[in-house]
Amino acid sequence: MHHDNGIWVSTEDLMREDSFLQSAEKELSLENVDQNGDRWETNRRDFLKLLGFGLGAATIAASCEIPVKKAIPYVTKPDDIVPGVANYFASTIVNGGDYCAVLVKTREGRPIKIEGNTLSSVTKGGTSARAQASVLSLYDNRRIQHAGTVKDGAVTKKEWNVLDREVRAKLASGGNVRVITNTIISPTAKKALAEFTAKYPGARVVTYDPVSNAAMLAANEQCFSARVIPNFRFEQADVIASFGADFLGTWISPVEYARGYAENRRFRGAKGAKMSRHYQVESHMSLTGSNADNRILIKPSEQGAAIIALYNELSGNSGGPKLGDAKAAAAIKKMAQDLMNAKGKSLVVSGSNNVMEQIYVNKINDLLGNINTTVDFNGVSYQRQGDEREMMRLVDEMNAGQVAVAIVWGANPAYELPNAARFAEAFGKVGMRISFSGVLDETTALCTHAAPANHALESWGDAEPKSGHFSLIQPTIAPLFATRQAEHTLLEWAESPNLNRSAEQPYYEYLKSNWETDLFGRQTKYATKQAFWDMSLHDGVLEMPESGLNAVMNEVSLNPDSVTKPSGSELEIAFYETVNIGGGQYAHNPWLQEMPDPVTRTVWGNYLNIPVEWDGVNHINGWKGLNDGDNVEVEINGKKMTCTVVRTFGLAPGTVAIALGGGRTSGGCGAGYGVNINDWLPVTGGMVQYHAAGVSVSGKVGVDKHFACVQYHHTMGVQASGDEEGKVINADEKTLGWKGFQGALTDRSVIFHAHVDELEKFAEEMEEFHEESAHLNVQTLYPDQSDYFGTGMKWGMHVDMNACVGCGACQVACVSENNVPMVGKGEVHRHHEMTWLRIDRYFYGDFENPKVVYQPMMCQHCDNAPCENVCPVAATNHSMEGINQMAYNRCIGTRYCANNCPYKVRRFNWLDYTTADTWPANEERVLHAEGDDMPFYADNLVRMVLNPDVTIRSRGVIEKCSFCIQRIQEGKLTAKRENREIMDNDIRTACQTACPTGAIVFGNLNNPDSEVSKMTKQAGAVAYKVLEEINVRPAVNYSAKITNSNEELYS
Amino acid sequence: MSQPVAPVRHILIEGNKSYHNITEDLCTPTEKAPSREWIIAFSIASALLGLYIFAIIWTVWKGIGSWNLNRTINWGWDITNFVWWIGIGHAGTLISAILLLFRQRWRTGVNRAAEAMTIFAVICAGQFPIFHMGRVWLAFFIFPFPNTRGPLWVNFNSPLLWDVFAISTYFSVSLLFWYTGLVPDLATVRDRASGLRRKMYEIFSFGWTGSAKHWQRHEALSLVLAGISTPLVLSVHTIVSFDFATSVVPGWHTTIFPPYFVAGAIFSGFAMVQTLMVITRKVLKLEQYITINHIESMNKVIVLTGTIVGVAYLTELFISWYSGYIYEQFAFYNRVFGIYWWSYFGMMFCNVVSPQLFWSRKIRRSIWWTFFLSIIVNIGMWFERFVIIATTLARDFLPSSWSYYSPTWVEISIFAGTIGLFFVLYMIFTRVAPVVAIAEIKAILKVAGDQYIGPNASQGHAHKQDEATKKEA
Repeated sequence: MHHDNGIWVSTEDLMREDSFLQSAEKELSLENVDQNGDRWETNRRDFLKLLGFGLGAATIAASCEIPVKKAIPYVTKPDDIVPGVANYFASTIVNGGDYCAVLVKTREGRPIKIEGNTLSSVTKGGTSARAQASVLSLYDNRRIQHAGTVKDGAVTKKEWNVLDREVRAKLASGGNVRVITNTIISPTAKKALAEFTAKYPGARVVTYDPVSNAAMLAANEQCFSARVIPNFRFEQADVIASFGADFLGTWISPVEYARGYAENRRFRGAKGAKMSRHYQVESHMSLTGSNADNRILIKPSEQGAAIIALYNELSGNSGGPKLGDAKAAAAIKKMAQDLMNAKGKSLVVSGSNNVMEQIYVNKINDLLGNINTTVDFNGVSYQRQGDEREMMRLVDEMNAGQVAVAIVWGANPAYELPNAARFAEAFGKVGMRISFSGVLDETTALCTHAAPANHALESWGDAEPKSGHFSLIQPTIAPLFATRQAEHTLLEWAESPNLNRSAEQPYYEYLKSNWETDLFGRQTKYATKQAFWDMSLHDGVLEMPESGLNAVMNEVSLNPDSVTKPSGSELEIAFYETVNIGGGQYAHNPWLQEMPDPVTRTVWGNYLNIPVEWDGVNHINGWKGLNDGDNVEVEINGKKMTCTVVRTFGLAPGTVAIALGGGRTSGGCGAGYGVNINDWLPVTGGMVQYHAAGVSVSGKVGVDKHFACVQYHHTMGVQASGDEEGKVINADEKTLGWKGFQGALTDRSVIFHAHVDELEKFAEEMEEFHEESAHLNVQTLYPDQSDYFGTGMKWGMHVDMNACVGCGACQVACVSENNVPMVGKGEVHRHHEMTWLRIDRYFYGDFENPKVVYQPMMCQHCDNAPCENVCPVAATNHSMEGINQMAYNRCIGTRYCANNCPYKVRRFNWLDYTTADTWPANEERVLHAEGDDMPFYADNLVRMVLNPDVTIRSRGVIEKCSFCIQRIQEGKLTAKRENREIMDNDIRTACQTACPTGAIVFGNLNNPDSEVSKMTKQAGAVAYKVLEEINVRPAVNYSAKITNSNEELYS
Repeated sequence: MSQPVAPVRHILIEGNKSYHNITEDLCTPTEKAPSREWIIAFSIASALLGLYIFAIIWTVWKGIGSWNLNRTINWGWDITNFVWWIGIGHAGTLISAILLLFRQRWRTGVNRAAEAMTIFAVICAGQFPIFHMGRVWLAFFIFPFPNTRGPLWVNFNSPLLWDVFAISTYFSVSLLFWYTGLVPDLATVRDRASGLRRKMYEIFSFGWTGSAKHWQRHEALSLVLAGISTPLVLSVHTIVSFDFATSVVPGWHTTIFPPYFVAGAIFSGFAMVQTLMVITRKVLKLEQYITINHIESMNKVIVLTGTIVGVAYLTELFISWYSGYIYEQFAFYNRVFGIYWWSYFGMMFCNVVSPQLFWSRKIRRSIWWTFFLSIIVNIGMWFERFVIIATTLARDFLPSSWSYYSPTWVEISIFAGTIGLFFVLYMIFTRVAPVVAIAEIKAILKVAGDQYIGPNASQGHAHKQDEATKKEA
């Protein structure tokens, strides 16, 4: 191939040698190739090679299952959605009487997180665990997906218009119609109901509550001529006495009350510190009782006697039932004195469901001059309206065949009522039974028709939790299924002329016009209807506070014989509502099921709380020798059930307790956990009583193999009498082997507590402790890096253990924000829970009647982090801003970091909990909803709740609190984009925003003006770091627990 | 090997062996068909190895969640077994290197088997750090290799990384040292073999001819490797102890750990050597090479190291009390009286009390006692590691997180399985290589000189020797 352009490739070419010419010709000549036998051979080989490679490659490629990622871009991008940027919508989470004003965070059109709405003066930006978890139930794969007829536990699809016709025909045919609801606090829904009842003369609404406050409403009706709940102002009360009312956890409006309560107890510096005093008279340790300064223990049936004792003490009367325990009686006398001293600034509340007891409580408040001060009738609460007596009348009516149509809206009487079997039987006699429930719960399964309502996050609506405080509910996602708003359905059936059926969202227009008619005129803030609506929707709340209303208590006849008489029974039981599961309404939410009960720290079920006993030497025994997780048979009124026991501190002698809400049988993932104890609830005077006498508990009959509790050690400084006469010793569990180790726990720098009167002395002691720690920490091999984080950002946290009431909202918020997997009961049993934030609960003080301190515990982001230097692959390291970071992709799972973490906050993915790896062999033991083959988190619907900003961790890696690094990043970017410095409000962690009491504050420690710096500064020496002296230099400050107990109560 | 032998010493090889006898005795086991006992034992070991493989596949396939570790106790049987095996792997090097330096020539009877045991024990130990990882397929991350991830380097501050280097160094040096010693013996076997077997041994003996040059290089290399191994005996377990000592956990964070771990390792290593030797000498009929004197000498080491370990335990208790530091005090209080009290008392009894029986010459020279106590010591040393790991983690700083741990069948199977792995390797070894170093043992055979008492020895010399023997007794 010689070219005449003078270019040559070799000397052979240049010389035009024969050999070269020959080979050059061969090179490109096909003919030559064909003629050459050798080359043929080679070609076949190449062919075989290619064939082999091709087959091999194709086989490998075809046999590897590559997960299909569904990421579909917008064809037309909606105006208000920017991928990667969250939108927030003001809305409200309402479930029966539970209310929370919220902002809903949506990403790419999916609601993924609930935040508190700071504009609401009811919740003031606080949230509850229940509200936080509500977003998960939106993506519940057990939701009913269309209207239809119900048969054998399944819904057969029926078009809405067909269903509507059928129902309207039935309604029009006459007969009584009953709408069974829980409390409804929506004014517009009530209007829709009114239209419905107006249309059908036989129609009536029957309202009850899963956990009843009917007696209180009845008492207030008698005393104040208004069937409402007053506006309790805990923030103004200097002395609070609660008779079994769990106002911080479950009672009526806990988020609001917790805020008010904490306001008067927050630590604001040691000098001249003051705080309210809180007495709790109760028989088992409730969340509220665990926060009290003094608990007075009585048996459940003695509550009436205790109220009478207080009343008698205040009024100088005598008579009525007497308390069995002289100690308690004496304590109530002293409490009365304290209350008297705080006249007009005290508050007495009761969770009793006995009308006369509530009348006495009103009378006591009247005697103390609290009416119109702490018991305010401006802005009364509508959050409980139910009356179970009506429900019982309805059961009779149904039994008599007098009801033609029953519509169940938001209630689940077939589970919730104490005589559910009787209800079910009577309900069966109703011709047409319709349920609005979103899931196939116990009642819906008994119905003939299902008309599933939207989830709250798909709905329009409003709420008026307190008089003059309105808030709006707006949808944050189009309905996922062919469901329809309950209000819309009712209006449709009522053939309402006010419902614009041709509109895209008929109920939206109905709601809007209702607000414009009813509320626009009442307010003065906005001039035009458009502005009024737009701004109200934007803010989520509309407040027209009332003032100047003065209530006067009516003369009511007091009859001490109408209160509950002490049973005299040897063993009594208290039934209580839990923060997470409520009366069972929240049982199908795994986030709530796996949120530990604040006091017992158990998950996934309700357990029989049994007392602990001190043997006087070195053992804490369970009552009757029972251990955690033992099964016993409990018999009340001839009804026998098998319960699992958990040993609990702070029960009154001769008392056991068990939570409501267990043993759901259908409707979702909570089915099959715990026991349904509603059948045990006695009904006295038409009112459900939350305690019973004549309880017999068998010995151990078995063991719950998956007993799940996240904390197995409970005490830190509990004191009991030692074997020597008159000597008080520390009786902490598990430090007691042989002769016991005094101070083994109390000398640890984990929790500190002090009495408010001794605060200045305590601050001095703390100062000494800090000096000692600093001294110890100076002795280090490493060069001093104390100024390493002195510039720029240094993220840190302040936790006020005095403001923390232990409600657990932060924990669920953390789960929601950070995609923390739920692992299920069996895995929690094996201590495999994954929570990044936990609330440690310790008992201290008197063994029989201990006090409690809650300590939210998350990664402490130590500047001298022990986890970091032990990781062989540097998967965990420190950022320049003082954050202890986890690089999941780098983690190989040696778990040394978790061993070396003094706070034990690191969590290892023992299995494929989030199904991130889609590794089925790793998913057998992870959380499955009952009857599902697929793990809970593998469902695409459930996965919609995941926060796209946070990586899903695969199996075999460590994870832990990141200080919500994604929020920090977002805040920093926002500030950068706006070309300004980061402000305190730019970055707030999920736990911080969720907290109803503001106990958690996060921010830049290098900024002296940041809230976190100020809080720590204000706390002074009372602020400490957990395990301060081990030189790990945490970034989280805690301020000690302060109590204001009446030390003379039992002296 | 021309050092003089102390005249008070016993003869080290009994039975008036000639060089030929030695070759015959030691090569025969590799040449005969396996005995029935060997086949039965090998089948059991193989079954256990099968269990090991099954349990490991189960662990990797099902996830570490198939173990019972939890959020508080993140290491349990896995690391306990790791440290236990590493400890066992200490006797070989000690015998080869340190006893060589101390001119303890009795070691030649046992060093080959002990070194083999070391290597196999390290292989067993190495399984645990690898398979306890959550993502074992990424185990290569622990090596500092150039990469495109940044480049992302390993964390040289981490004791786990030091472990990687310490153990891999130890393994390679031990292997080389062992194999260097094997080469002349493999050549001996080769010379007696024929056919394919001969070919194989030819390859493995690297063409050894026994020329002076070969011997010179062999000796030089042995010396160099002995020099490298000597510090390794001390360093490996020191570094393993750093896994605990450099942490912040009370009960782990102790400066006594390095010497305490090394003593414990030698202790357990010798115990394991005893267990194996007692069986090996019986099965392979090597009583005349591995004599009761050997056993007694090793028992002396056991009683010494056992006592050192005992002192360490007591020192720990004293220091924790003396520290005045509540976490430390409680950690040790809890060790003794806490939930795992039985493992502490097991440890104390097995490691400190039981070896004291060896003060009695009778027990020291009893095969059965030795065998029994060597097993007790190894159980005790397992307890020691379990006490250090599980008991400590179960009760650390924050009482809220305290928990309890007991293994699942998977963890137990992996442990039992590594014992299978060990014995499979060891039993193959007894079939393919002389279990006593032929070349070295020949060096200490007394065929000449004034201490010679073998055939044709002059009466006078023999008489002298007898007297010396009597005196010592």
